[in-house]
Amino acid sequence: MIDIAGLIAENIIYVLLITLGGVLVSVSVHFVPVGGAPAAMAQACGIGTGTVQLAAGAGLTGLVTAGAMMGVTDNIGLVLASGTVGGMIMIAVTMIVGNWVYFYGVGCPAASAKVKYDPITKDRQDLYISQGTEGHAIPTVSFVSGVIGAGLGGLGGGLVYYALLKIGEVASGLTVKDIMSTTGHELVGLASIFAVGIFFMNAVIPSYNIGGTIEGFHDPKFKRWPRAAITSLVVTFLCAILAVVTLGGM
Amino acid sequence: MDPLIGMGALALMGAAATIAGASEDLESDIGSQSNPNSQVQLAPQMSYPHRIYNKAISGEPPSNALMCTIGGTVAYVMLNFNVSVVLALTIGSLVAAMVHGTYATTAYMGRCSSQKRFKQMVYLDVLRSHTPPIMGYSFITTFTILVVSYIMVTVFAHPFPLPLLAFIWGITVGAIGSSTGDVHYGAEREFQDVEFGSGLNTANSGKIVRKAESGLRSSMDNSWFCAKFGGPVTGIAFGMTVFLSGWITTVFDPSKGPAAGWESVIAGALIILVMIIYNRKMEVSARKEFGPYKEDKEEAA
Repeated sequence: MIDIAGLIAENIIYVLLITLGGVLVSVSVHFVPVGGAPAAMAQACGIGTGTVQLAAGAGLTGLVTAGAMMGVTDNIGLVLASGTVGGMIMIAVTMIVGNWVYFYGVGCPAASAKVKYDPITKDRQDLYISQGTEGHAIPTVSFVSGVIGAGLGGLGGGLVYYALLKIGEVASGLTVKDIMSTTGHELVGLASIFAVGIFFMNAVIPSYNIGGTIEGFHDPKFKRWPRAAITSLVVTFLCAILAVVTLGGM
Repeated sequence: MDPLIGMGALALMGAAATIAGASEDLESDIGSQSNPNSQVQLAPQMSYPHRIYNKAISGEPPSNALMCTIGGTVAYVMLNFNVSVVLALTIGSLVAAMVHGTYATTAYMGRCSSQKRFKQMVYLDVLRSHTPPIMGYSFITTFTILVVSYIMVTVFAHPFPLPLLAFIWGITVGAIGSSTGDVHYGAEREFQDVEFGSGLNTANSGKIVRKAESGLRSSMDNSWFCAKFGGPVTGIAFGMTVFLSGWITTVFDPSKGPAAGWESVIAGALIILVMIIYNRKMEVSARKEFGPYKEDKEEAA
């Protein structure tokens, strides 16, 4: 019989880290400028895909880079920083190429429909919106917001993965170095799948706030983030307990 | 690891990822997957029945993740039986392509037959001619993603298991294809009859172009058109993502010590900064080139 209360008490710091990581992912999604289906037809400002899909794509790239870093060092700062940078690179490349398609393939300049002037560059936006649309492409403010969002997502994902592996380390009595020296160790598989699951769950929660489209931190919908943060705090906490019991009980 | 071998393996990964991105986008164009398919689905209701393949099994990332995970799992099992790598990856991709073809067929039949009341036909010749290329593209995507994942596991000693890496790169390639190349299909190819650069007026939703350069348009024509721009740029995007995220840790190897690790993080941050500046330059040049759509009323007054 597993001593559940004892396990949780022993790993409480990691439970808190996982919860924090989940909340970070949930907040990060609000920064990512997604235009959903309308943006794919140059009908709305932002990246032309769904909220969860893009946030997951960026965050999971961060998880891959954080996982690679954790393979060689267990320095928490480095693991988190590499997760952040990995997510940021993925989204920055996606937005650059997305803008290539909007500018050179579709022929639309970047314009936001939510603000009259871009808060960063102070460029006029409303004149550059074509008739019958809600803006198109990715203006600078949305680009910067997207980079911040993907960075936070990668950071959150990295934090969850780090904490999960540390729980496994305590449970199995091995160090991270020992775990990494064996190819395809079951703890790595389990921790990474848990990290992906917690990531997806927290990417879905903010979709109810966003409702299909958001342009970034200048969008009025962005102000709703505390609701998603509180929801994800509760849900991730429960998941973290489940993770401790699963990984710790191995 | 010898840095030269690392760079070589990374270049191979980047090249494989570029092919994966391009084939993923063309697969989604020929099968009409993802967001632009909302217009294909809407068209019969606007009295525009068509001969476009209509599948949209799911969002592109989950669909590609499924394909790549099936391929990765089959390959992983075969590798454990000491089968040669090329054979294992090929058989894995073949199984994934067959599963994908099954989903594509049922999706096309189901989606089109459910629109009978809007006089949408189920074209069996479209099904016969389009499903094999869809499977072909999905085979290429899965195979190249598996190559990327396999190199990461063996050469770069990534701790994640092969099927999980394939899953993650499947999600990422789908997210990138859906955000970049699909816009070329949705915003330009489906609405080629409106003036270039006008975006899609909401009033035109569902009124997709149904005539091809010659005869009636099918998804083959869409794939031909998107292969000129949307597909290759998606390839560049995914190739760059895989290459740049690996490049920083290959050049500044964190296994040599924390200092090199931090240098890799700084290099990544610099790359992002350069991209933000480049994007701004591009935005300004597009605004200057295209000009505003309407006059400034405040200024005119």
